[in-house]
Amino acid sequence: MALIRVEHVDKSFASRHGSISIMQDISFEVKDSDFVAIVGPSGCGKSTLLRLIQGLDHPTAGSISFRDQKVDAVCPQMAMVFQSFALYPWLTVAQNVAFGLEALSWSPERIGSQVERYISVTGLDGFQEAYPRELSGGMRQRVGLARALAVEPAVLLMDEPFSALDPLTAESLREEVLQLWRDPQLPPDAVLLVSHNIEEAIQLADRVIVLSRRPGHILAQVDVDMPRPRDRKSSAFYDLTDRVYSLITEGGSAMASKTRPEGAPSAG
Amino acid sequence: MAGGARIHLTAQGDSALSLVEPASPGPSTGTLPPAAPSKIRWSRPATLLYLAIPLSIGVLAASDPGFTAAGLASYLPTATVDVSYSFLRMSAAYLLSLAFALSYGYYAAAHRTGERVMIPILDILQSVPILGFFPIVVLVLYNLQPSGFGPNLASVILIFTSMSWNMVFGVYESLKTVPSDLREAADTFGLKGWLRFRRLLFPATVNRLVYNSVLSWTGGWFFLVEAEIFTTNGAALPGIGSFLSFAASGHNTEEFLAGLIVLVIVIALLDFLLWRPLGHYAERFRFDQAPSGEGDPILVAGTSGRFRRAASYVTRGVRTGVSRLSTPLVQLAAITVRPSRHPSARRQAVIYHLSLGTILVLVWLMLIAIIVAVYTVFSGTIMPSVRAQMLMLPLAVGFSMGRLVIAYAICLAIALPLAILMARGPRARRLGLPIVEVVASFPATALFPVIIFELVPYISPEGAAILMLMTGMIWYLFFNLLSGIRSIPPDLEEAARSFGLKGRKLLRRVLVPGVFTALITGSITAFGGGWNTLIVAEYLNVGSGQSLSVLGVGQLIDIGYAEHADGGYPLMVAALFALIATVIIVNELIWKPLYRRAVERYRYD
Repeated sequence: MALIRVEHVDKSFASRHGSISIMQDISFEVKDSDFVAIVGPSGCGKSTLLRLIQGLDHPTAGSISFRDQKVDAVCPQMAMVFQSFALYPWLTVAQNVAFGLEALSWSPERIGSQVERYISVTGLDGFQEAYPRELSGGMRQRVGLARALAVEPAVLLMDEPFSALDPLTAESLREEVLQLWRDPQLPPDAVLLVSHNIEEAIQLADRVIVLSRRPGHILAQVDVDMPRPRDRKSSAFYDLTDRVYSLITEGGSAMASKTRPEGAPSAG
Repeated sequence: MAGGARIHLTAQGDSALSLVEPASPGPSTGTLPPAAPSKIRWSRPATLLYLAIPLSIGVLAASDPGFTAAGLASYLPTATVDVSYSFLRMSAAYLLSLAFALSYGYYAAAHRTGERVMIPILDILQSVPILGFFPIVVLVLYNLQPSGFGPNLASVILIFTSMSWNMVFGVYESLKTVPSDLREAADTFGLKGWLRFRRLLFPATVNRLVYNSVLSWTGGWFFLVEAEIFTTNGAALPGIGSFLSFAASGHNTEEFLAGLIVLVIVIALLDFLLWRPLGHYAERFRFDQAPSGEGDPILVAGTSGRFRRAASYVTRGVRTGVSRLSTPLVQLAAITVRPSRHPSARRQAVIYHLSLGTILVLVWLMLIAIIVAVYTVFSGTIMPSVRAQMLMLPLAVGFSMGRLVIAYAICLAIALPLAILMARGPRARRLGLPIVEVVASFPATALFPVIIFELVPYISPEGAAILMLMTGMIWYLFFNLLSGIRSIPPDLEEAARSFGLKGRKLLRRVLVPGVFTALITGSITAFGGGWNTLIVAEYLNVGSGQSLSVLGVGQLIDIGYAEHADGGYPLMVAALFALIATVIIVNELIWKPLYRRAVERYRYD
């Protein structure tokens, strides 16, 4: 059964020159234990797509469903990690992590133990009472991650989560995200990552959805059949990166040999 | 009002929380270039609403049985001539302020030594209630030249004092906050002289300058009425301020409404033809792309005065003295204070409460010192009646403070819900904001005679005084809160939505902390406006044997001025110094620490 089903989604916005189409006819599925990455040039609507999926915004046409239920309000079984971290400067690390749990009206004791668990899972022990501005970028994004994981979402949505970090920090945080993902004790069931970094997508995901420039449509869905941990220097990794790169720059005309055609259902 | 709505929020009509529509188009993903439609859409109802204001004034006219439209029209020519006089006076004062702001601001920002003296001086000047200058300026200039030029010059200078300080701070602060990379880029390319001014310094200041100019004109209109009446004993200067005041004291509804209509039209025209286009033009010179934590520059204008040298010595001395004295007291008081989880927090709370008490004691000591000083200076000439009034000074300051606090509380109760409504509802904002803008820039002082004639029987002199104080306070609060709510970063708002926070939790966790800094700055500027208004709100003679007089420091200044020929001069001086000392002490020991703490804890970065 598909966890998320996106069917023929269009999105356009009104502007002074009439309506601008952001994406056209987007269809794909996310299954249980899928790690899916969405890549594409800037402005192709990747982040908008993520917001449509959680229900923060609505598609102009088409439909999105989660466990066969249409998503028409903010879906509480999904949690988002933001590019800008979106931490509240007036709340401590612990309070920020508790943020989503408070919305669920849990008892203070239950919130407390849950917060402790995810603070330690994300390596934030000892920083409970710190304020976000006292932390480095990498630590801040750990808080963002802990906040999202603490609500134990079925789907973790990550919107360019490593883009605001320096390369070394980003690399180590990517490794940790992978470790968390492979821990069967921990949520989520599926991850949807938006990135403009092709290598990052291939390093992390089981499947990479390649979007065209605006208006975004799916150029290809590329399966990544490499065992983890993946070696960025291997020729297989390099070939795949090159293929995705060509897809984006050439608009998807060539390079169809090992990729599935646009919009086809995923094999998982 | 720049467009730049974050599209995926505005596109969704039923959002639980679409409170953010940043003033600048953010570079974040998922946004499009500024959305123009919102601008086009709201201008039409706005135009209608501008027309609706004179219309509603007309409805009020119907309450006067002797009222005829022809009668009203017959006053329009005189009103138009008078408003032109006032406009000329305002323009002269504004040009003076502009020249002063540019030269003073540029010099202070460019020269370290000059800065050290100039900025503290300016900080004192801006904390002194503007109306406090009135008696001194008037007495000096009037004595120099009793007719024609003298009173006019006095009036222009008085308007100047209400316009210039915030413009100087605007220039100075925007020059000091030019991003260092832009400054360095100009250095590496060797930009100097005129080119440097045109490419770096002018763009750096123009945005703040336009914004603060609007504020200055609003302030100028507010004090215009006083500036045209105050200057002369008997024969007032021709102008819309004196026109309105005479109409009101003569109970002439037709004349009063004619003046009101002409004034509203002039203010609205200025807004449409000058400030809006200028604001649009200046918008392109913004350095920051993302909404800053302090919201609009307006917030900083009134508050970030630097009192570096002169006053910080005094306050530091006082503070160390206070803390040394209070340590044993703190331990004593700690027992009575509600236990808190963190001992350090409890200690802080205790110190804070104790120092509030200390501040009051300090104000009182200062007052006594002033009274004693004035006594010695004027020892020979003080009359018994004046002496009695002078001894009332400490009580008067207390009454004035109480009145301000009550007016502030009512203002907050009105402004906060209004600001939330307008920040969160695009429709409410589109329809309501133009009205609020015109009403806010309309000089409430012109209506003070009406308040006294019509409302005193219902709400007592005390109520009328508080109502008048509110007109001088509420807009600072409202506009600060509005921009504060709107400058909560969009990603924080979106995260709240993403995690499903609603209702009271949303209020407690996001909205209230998000506007806290704006609330503090709004409160500081509102109290600044309130101290100013005290001088007209506590004592006002509106002719026809009617006047309002309630015990307060503003009243004592006015009485001293009115009787300056009969020995009231010492009273005026003492009351003026008492007012200035109180304002400075309260600013330094309450507002500035509070502001610093708010910025530290609640800024976004």
